[in-house]
Amino acid sequence: MSMLKPFSKLPGLNTANILLVESEEQFQQSLADALVEETAVTVNVRLAKSLPLPMENEESRPRIDLVVFIINLTSELSFQSAEDSLKYLDPGYFLGKVCFMVTNARNASVPPERLDAIRKLAASLHCPMLFAEDQTPDGVISATERLLTILKVAAGLVPMATALYLSNLTRCTVPPDIDQPSFD
Amino acid sequence: MDECTKRLLQRLIRRIPTQMLRTTLEKWGRLTAAQQRSVDFTQPKLMLTEKLLTMCAESGWTVKHITELEMIYVIDNPNLGMWYALQLMDPEEDAQAVELTQFKEQFKSHLGELVRHVSVKIKKHTDDAVWIRIAWGDSFSRPNHLKPTYVVHHLQTPYVFVTSLTSKQKPLLSQAMVLSTRHQAIKNANLSGRKLTAIRNLLMKQYQQVFPTNYSSPLAEKNQTVSNLHIEREQAESAAHRLQMACEAFGGGKLPQLQSAVYKLETKFRDHTNKTMTEQEEPFRCVVKFASTNLLESLRHCASSGIASTPVTPLLSSIPLKGRNYFVITDNSPGPSQTRQPQK
Repeated sequence: MSMLKPFSKLPGLNTANILLVESEEQFQQSLADALVEETAVTVNVRLAKSLPLPMENEESRPRIDLVVFIINLTSELSFQSAEDSLKYLDPGYFLGKVCFMVTNARNASVPPERLDAIRKLAASLHCPMLFAEDQTPDGVISATERLLTILKVAAGLVPMATALYLSNLTRCTVPPDIDQPSFD
Repeated sequence: MDECTKRLLQRLIRRIPTQMLRTTLEKWGRLTAAQQRSVDFTQPKLMLTEKLLTMCAESGWTVKHITELEMIYVIDNPNLGMWYALQLMDPEEDAQAVELTQFKEQFKSHLGELVRHVSVKIKKHTDDAVWIRIAWGDSFSRPNHLKPTYVVHHLQTPYVFVTSLTSKQKPLLSQAMVLSTRHQAIKNANLSGRKLTAIRNLLMKQYQQVFPTNYSSPLAEKNQTVSNLHIEREQAESAAHRLQMACEAFGGGKLPQLQSAVYKLETKFRDHTNKTMTEQEEPFRCVVKFASTNLLESLRHCASSGIASTPVTPLLSSIPLKGRNYFVITDNSPGPSQTRQPQK
């Protein structure tokens, strides 16, 4: 079983590597195009549909600083695929190097149980959960900015801040009344 | 000019959209230059209809002329109404030698023998398609030009496409078709769709076929699908493999636009969690219908994005392979089986 390990390779100089995992392979493309525009840091983006990653790329793959799971709330398959991919990550990643990004949260046809399930998953793994809007260029830009903030810390490029410290501040929490029926 | 002609012309002008009216009338060529100039196509349809009716009375156009106009319009816009495909079986020795004049004579005479009053018009289109317009009557009444059947056949191919054919008229048409094309039988090809061009291209495989190959892209380094050197796709190989399998099953490039596929299931119910249903002896009858604006495109995308597993199941790949979109699935065979003749 090929697990992705966070510290088994050397980092690059002024470089940050991010892995975007998305079952539909749509949003990750526009996010990637926006992420590489960053000038202060060299950002390398790796795109995948799910984990595990193929063994052939093991040699050429750089050290991944941040793994982002993009989940489309309107698709159960998307959630399942992300959940199944989690087991191929070394536990070391869950100390601030994993993030969940959720799209289509405003869609009326989304069952509320799915969002609650993702929230509980993110909270149990101590990871941040971000909401993103993938249809407009503005939405893509703001999602990119938020990811870059976390990525720079996770890659060790921000002095006096580590990924673990940041994740303590940004991690997803579950409201105590999450299992109560909501009044929409 | 009698009531019948008038009504026919009225109906026809109402049917043709104003943008196409000018070109269709020009192609028809029965308006004199003066008449053509006098028609103002910016007027509302009602006034145009009045104008053309008066012209009809002046020039003495008959039903024959109006049906010509209708045929020109339908040939240029074949993608209206539901088309059904039929297939001719068991050709005789001289089936390949049937040519147009012989076919025309034979068809008209055979159909005339079967139906007392029938009006048949046959026209050959530039792309080798033979278009037949049939207005059906019976022993007591004149042909009804308001509900004609259109038939399209490419000579030397076994395919016949029909629209607006009732079940009473079908055996008559089949008989005439079989005799005039020198075959022994005709059967339902189980393919239907709104676009004639699409079902024709599907049956005659006139779209890009993709063949299995070991070396799909000879110059791999030139096929950079990502825009940037900093972006890398981890699973590009498996994505390319899925795309190749999807294209092998459905074809490459633009695909013929089918609107639906229907599977009639007559298989036994199988679900371990539901004992009562599984224990039933009779098959569980159920109909599954897939519908889309471009069904083959959707199915190909399902396969290439991983939603449908690859290699593509024969249930789906039979649609382009066998050129049908109606299947009856029974328990005996692993894939779609031969069907009984469904009512259309």
